[in-house]
Amino acid sequence: MTTLDQKPASSEGRKDPWSQMLQKVGKNQDREAYHALFEHFGPQIKYYAMANGLASHAEELVQEVFVSIWRRSCLYDWRKAAASTWIFTIARNQRIDMLRKMQRTSAEMPVETEDLWQIPGDNENEPVTSLHRLMSERRIRASLSHLPEEQITVIAKVYMENKSHQMVADELNIPLGTVKSRVRLALNKLKVILQDQNV
Amino acid sequence: MTRHHPDSLSLMEYSAGNLSEPHALCIRLHLDKCSHCRSRVDTLDSLGAVMMEHQPKVSVSESMFDSILSKIDSEPTDEAVATPTPRVGALQKLLGEDLNSLPWKRQLGDVSVLDITDRFPGQKEQVVLQKLAAGGKAPAHTHRGEETTIVLQGAFADQKGVFNQWDFVVLNDEDEHKPVAVGCEDCITLSVLSAPVKLTGTFTRMLNPFIR
Repeated sequence: MTTLDQKPASSEGRKDPWSQMLQKVGKNQDREAYHALFEHFGPQIKYYAMANGLASHAEELVQEVFVSIWRRSCLYDWRKAAASTWIFTIARNQRIDMLRKMQRTSAEMPVETEDLWQIPGDNENEPVTSLHRLMSERRIRASLSHLPEEQITVIAKVYMENKSHQMVADELNIPLGTVKSRVRLALNKLKVILQDQNV
Repeated sequence: MTRHHPDSLSLMEYSAGNLSEPHALCIRLHLDKCSHCRSRVDTLDSLGAVMMEHQPKVSVSESMFDSILSKIDSEPTDEAVATPTPRVGALQKLLGEDLNSLPWKRQLGDVSVLDITDRFPGQKEQVVLQKLAAGGKAPAHTHRGEETTIVLQGAFADQKGVFNQWDFVVLNDEDEHKPVAVGCEDCITLSVLSAPVKLTGTFTRMLNPFIR
């Protein structure tokens, strides 16, 4: 529960301050904004690396992610994802990429990480559904604090420690069905599951 | 059993980056064509972002920022990186332009298969393409273990419904079906089998969703 309350409310309504800063980096190569993003997201990405077993590569991951942010910032479109969501997907992809490269040579990788895991806003032809996307992040932040701790624990293990539902069940010594129902309950409250059955 | 679209739990494992490469490929191919599921993944990616900011803080040094700056300064500042290049999709990279001209192996009657497990080095699952000739039928069969399938071309139907291009299906040992290729094209699917197939007889050499 460290930063849930400190997220600044945007005066522009839809565009949060981090997204504005990221846009400045993309448009003007603004290094002050880039530094602000580093101070805010750098620690999060470093913790992310440490939590999922890349402790000895944590600083390397932070650097890779930030170089990638700089390089791609011109493609960033705040209407397609909030900055934090966009940066999360870059961190996730860089982590996967780092693990893949540790495990094999590039000759063995016919498919690149980005061919499998998409960064929001890349390679999309459909009309923008900005409001939905930005609202969802704000809503998740607001409603996460109302979730029972046991549900947050499971979700944190999936997202931060990159454990499968089965691995979470083994670690917490609870049945797989219990893990899945906790996730479903949480996703329901976060309105991620709208109507699984009727899509 | 999941039919037509991946369930939320699978999409969450995808968003978290926890799926194997073949499973991620199935989801990605579906997402490229399904805006409904893509918007669910957008929301899940936001959940990931909020989880990331929700964690304990660790410190990063200014010297790290300096080395990031020297990295970006040493890179060429050409416009090439700034222009989104038309991407070749994962499927084309793996299989080329024409699925029909792959070295298919005729299995039985209307069914042909091609094992592409070796395109995913280091992954545990078996990955198989299957082709059911236009209008063709596969014998009734059940499934062993869990099998994730995406339709790459054409369509097939069974007693539960019609599965069109880019539809997503997960079947397990409780699902018995008798698929038929519908429409005027051969139906081609990509399947990821979680457990290695146990070979026990002629029919078990065949793979789902058409025949095992």
